Amino acid sequence: MNNILLKEMQLMFKEKANLIYLIIMPLAFIIIFGTIFNHAEDSTITVNVTDNDHSAASKTFIAQMKKIKGFDVKLNHKDVDKQISQIKDGKLNSLIVIPKGFNDQLASGQNKAKISFYQDAAASNETASIEAILKNLSNQYRENQIVGALAKDGKTDEQIKSIMNSPVTIDSVKENSHNVDMMSQMVPGYTVMFAFYIFISVIKRFFTEKESGMISRLQSTGMNPLSYLLGMWIPHFLTIMIQCIVLIGFGHFVYGMHIGSFIGIFLLIVSLAVCGSSLGVALSFIVKNENQGIGMTQFIALGGAMLGGLWFPSNMLPKFAQAIGKFTPQYWAQQGFLDVIVRDIPVTGLWKSFAALIAFGIIGIIIALTRYKAFLRSAIE
Amino acid sequence: MPFLLEIQNLRKTYKSKKALDGVSFSVKEKSCFGLLGPNGAGKSTTMKILTGVLTSDGGSINMFGKDARKNRKAILQHIGYVPQDIVLYEKLSAYDNLVFFGKCYGLDGDVLKERINDVLKQTGLSDRAKDTVKSYSGGMKRRINIAAALLHKPKLLILDEPTVGIDPQSRNHIFDMIRSLKEQGTTMIYSTHYMEEVEALCDEIAIIDNGEVVTQGTLDYLFTEYGRKAVYMESKTNFPTEKLTGIEAVHSHHQGLIIETAAPVDLMEQIIHISKEQKILLHHLEIEKPSLESVFLSLTGKTLRD
Repeated sequence: MNNILLKEMQLMFKEKANLIYLIIMPLAFIIIFGTIFNHAEDSTITVNVTDNDHSAASKTFIAQMKKIKGFDVKLNHKDVDKQISQIKDGKLNSLIVIPKGFNDQLASGQNKAKISFYQDAAASNETASIEAILKNLSNQYRENQIVGALAKDGKTDEQIKSIMNSPVTIDSVKENSHNVDMMSQMVPGYTVMFAFYIFISVIKRFFTEKESGMISRLQSTGMNPLSYLLGMWIPHFLTIMIQCIVLIGFGHFVYGMHIGSFIGIFLLIVSLAVCGSSLGVALSFIVKNENQGIGMTQFIALGGAMLGGLWFPSNMLPKFAQAIGKFTPQYWAQQGFLDVIVRDIPVTGLWKSFAALIAFGIIGIIIALTRYKAFLRSAIE
Repeated sequence: MPFLLEIQNLRKTYKSKKALDGVSFSVKEKSCFGLLGPNGAGKSTTMKILTGVLTSDGGSINMFGKDARKNRKAILQHIGYVPQDIVLYEKLSAYDNLVFFGKCYGLDGDVLKERINDVLKQTGLSDRAKDTVKSYSGGMKRRINIAAALLHKPKLLILDEPTVGIDPQSRNHIFDMIRSLKEQGTTMIYSTHYMEEVEALCDEIAIIDNGEVVTQGTLDYLFTEYGRKAVYMESKTNFPTEKLTGIEAVHSHHQGLIIETAAPVDLMEQIIHISKEQKILLHHLEIEKPSLESVFLSLTGKTLRD
């Protein structure tokens, strides 16, 4: 077995493609997306405003909008119809129009002042926040009206303040906020996702051995089939270990990602390596050829990444997708990593993730052992 | 000379296709035994069964005086198998490949190093040992392919078409290796569909076709028993073959004729006599040398490359 293992390790290190898709690609993903999302707070939403009133009231309204963080108010004097047509064509997301007479309508106190908000239905993510701001501003006008009415009614400032205060106060407390950033989701996410790309390496190796006639030749040396299987399996197990240590280490040392329990992280990596390498071997013995194996790998790695919450938190998925996700090893690996990295859960609290990953690993081993004879037979006949 | 290998009624079927249909032959110790047959005749299947790669559906194999089925592991320690394809790790050096195969055969340490150096010398590739196999020519790869099967000094070396697609220099080198191994007392089974290789290397031959051994014997025996007796002649003008007696068949061949007969010397006398009588100028007249090609043709009714 040691002989096969050493030879496999030699071949692994000589195969540059392994380095690319097991280490360099996930690192590239982490760096690119990390750079993008770590600066997410810098992004602003553009608010296009056409002021047809040019009054003190309209200017106050615009000034209030400008005060709000994250919004870039762009005032223009373009033709409103043309801008609406641009929205229809998808060239403009939204437009706020302050109509002529806004100041007078507001002063009349008859609740007739109207601001029009045109929006592209296809850009609802962006326009929804503008609409929320507008509603908030509208509420402020209403509150001002109430304050005016209460003052007229002879209420003192103290009384008015007391009336206007909400009876409910929201106290927002972020637990573990010191551990949470984009990297704490992204680094384990891409680590887990690319750990399953080991399937390609496993499939390639087994099919190369089969098609080159090596399995056949080794049979003639009296090789023990179980030693051969272990010799081929262990290097891939070790590769996942190295891959995970490099990627998690990169997140920690380069992006300052919190690690939590080192033993917890290490045992999760071991469990993930058992799971990934065993399933990879099992898949090699199920598929009919290398291309089919690569197709299946993409399906498992990408499908599992989406459902397992590797790209975004799984609670953002529909309920049924969340339920399916729990049947993927990626979900349990990711939850385990998040438990350690974000929630600082000690090693004893990670048993569910360990158990799930090892269980997937055992399923892989059982399938591999069941299919192994048929694979060897197909290799020699 | 005692038999090192005796095969009786070996059978193998792949799905519905019969690959071996009662193959029987015996190989004498320290001899080079040729297994000759066209592609798909059953040579590789026979060899894979002998090397423990495949199991047979029936029949018996007695090797080194033991039942091969019951003593598979012990017997495999004494067999070296050179597969038809070049089965090496191309990204590793020849030396690393030999280390790997040596360890597969249970060698290690100084013994392994010594054996690697020996086989590298035998193949003439000592100076290229550290180069990756990928950088080798086809012939060099073939030589390392053989070397990997020699590391454990096998008593029986099984070579499955070891010279396919190589240059004459490497072919000669491989021939020299085989002759040297034979001198050292290694028994060999050499499978090929090249007649000239069998003629050059083998003491005894089994001709295999459609999963059956058609005949087995020494070259002399096969030539005497099945070789075509014929005379080849070329003349300036048409020769009246109808005047010849005792002929069995006449075929055009190159610029002349091959005339089959049971008595080639008598036939030559007749040809000389007629050509003198009719003043026909003879360019060429000889008794045709018997060949395995003609043996194969007479036994199977087809050529090896059919």
